[in-house]
Amino acid sequence: MKIKLIRTGGFIPITKSAETEVNLSEQELANLLVTIKHDPAAPRIKDGNYYELTVGSDSTPVDLEKVPDEFKNLFSRLKSDLRIIK
Amino acid sequence: MCKSHFNPIHCIIPPYMLTRLMESGNKKIADLAIKSNFRSFRFRNDRIFFQKASQHEKDILGLIDKQPGKEIMQMEVYDCRQKTDLIGATLLWDSKNNQKITSVAGKKVIKGGKASWDFYWQLFSRNSIDNKGLLIKQYVHFDKGMDNAYWDGRRMVYGDGDGLVFTSFTSDIDVIGHELTHGVTENEANLDYENQAGALNESFSDIFGIMIKQRYNNQDVKKSNWLIGEKVMIGPKYALRSLKAPGTAYINHPELGTDPQPATMDKYQNLTNTQSGDFGGVHINSGIPNFAFYVAAFNMGGYSWEKAGRIWYAVLTDVSLAQNAKFADVKNLTIVHAGRIFGINSPEVTAVRQGWLEAKV
Repeated sequence: MKIKLIRTGGFIPITKSAETEVNLSEQELANLLVTIKHDPAAPRIKDGNYYELTVGSDSTPVDLEKVPDEFKNLFSRLKSDLRIIK
Repeated sequence: MCKSHFNPIHCIIPPYMLTRLMESGNKKIADLAIKSNFRSFRFRNDRIFFQKASQHEKDILGLIDKQPGKEIMQMEVYDCRQKTDLIGATLLWDSKNNQKITSVAGKKVIKGGKASWDFYWQLFSRNSIDNKGLLIKQYVHFDKGMDNAYWDGRRMVYGDGDGLVFTSFTSDIDVIGHELTHGVTENEANLDYENQAGALNESFSDIFGIMIKQRYNNQDVKKSNWLIGEKVMIGPKYALRSLKAPGTAYINHPELGTDPQPATMDKYQNLTNTQSGDFGGVHINSGIPNFAFYVAAFNMGGYSWEKAGRIWYAVLTDVSLAQNAKFADVKNLTIVHAGRIFGINSPEVTAVRQGWLEAKV
C-alpha cells in the first residue's frame, strides 16, 4: 500500500509531502497509527512543523518522535524525500 | 514594602501621604518629607526627559541606556549533530566558561542570543525570557536539512536549511530574536497560538525580532529594509517576511510562489484552525499587525525601539492583554500606552492611530 507523509507549519508555512510503497498489513498499519498519533492536547510548538500520515483518503496527525525503532528508517527516508507542494 | 531604608519617608509612599507629612507638626518629619518630595519631583522629571530623549540627544549628553547591574546573561549552546535528539545533544558553548568554538552556527546563535538579551535588558530592564534570568538554551544543527527554527516552550532549535531554498536558520539575528520573543510572550500575555491571537503572537515575535536586528546594526526606521530572514532564504530577492510590505518578501519564487501575507484587514485570510490551516493563519495574518507597527514606527522616525518599541513592549507586558486577544484589542492598548508614555495629544499617539488605520484594523 501507498503511504504519504505530509509536513505543514514552520517559520513560513510550507506544505511538503513524500510518499512510498510499504508492505504492511492493515493491522500493522493500524497499530502504527495508534502508536504515533499526535496528541491534540499537546502544547503547540511555536513555528513548529507538524506531520500527517495519509493512507488512501484517511489522514492522521502524527508525532514523529513516537515512531518505533523498526519504522525509524522508513520515516527517515520519507522525511528526506519531502518536497514542497507548489 | 521598602526594606532598604529605616526611614519610611525614603520609601515609595503615595503623594497624599507625603503632603500630610510635609505639614506635620514634627519638624524633623516635615523636613524629610519636603526633601523627599523635591527628590521625587526631580527624579520624575529626569525620568520623563530620559524617556523622551532621542538617540542623538543621548549621544550629545553622554547618556547611555541602562547598563546591566548584577544580572548577567546565561546561555548554553548545543550541537544536535543533525539528529533529532535534544537530550543527546553536545554542549558547544556556555556563558560561564565562554569556550572558543569553531561552529559557525554556534557563533551566530551566541551573537543573536546576546543581542536579544541585551535588547530586553538594556531597554526594558527585562532579565532574560522570563524576567527572572532564565538560562537561554539554543540547539543548532537539528535534524538533517531541517528548513525551520522554533521555540518549543523551553529552548530555541535551529535547522541547517535544505541548501536549496533555505540556508541555516541561524543566519539572521531577527530570526533568533523572533524565537526568543516567543518565550517572552509565553511568559507574559501567553497569547493563544491560533487565529488572531496566534497572529499577534507571531507579530510580536517579528516586531521584536526586527527591532533586535535594527538595534544590533544601528539602523533607524529609514535605513532598515524591514525584512525578516533575508539571509536564511537563498537568493538576493527573497526574505521570509516583510514588515514594510507584507506579501512581498518573495514574489514568484520558483518553489514557494509568492508571499501570502496580507497587509490590511480587508485581506484577512479565514483559514481553518488546524495544522494544515496554520492554526487559522498565524504566520499569514501576522502581516496585518506587523504593517501597523511598521507604519507607526516609521511615522515616529528615529530608532524603532525608542518609541514604537516601548509602546509595543508595554502592551506585551500589560496584564490586561487577554490570551485570546484580537487585533482591535492590541490596537486599543497601543493607543492607551502611547498616550500614557508620550501624552494623549502626542505625535506618537497619532502615529499609532495612523498605523492601525493604514492596516485597516
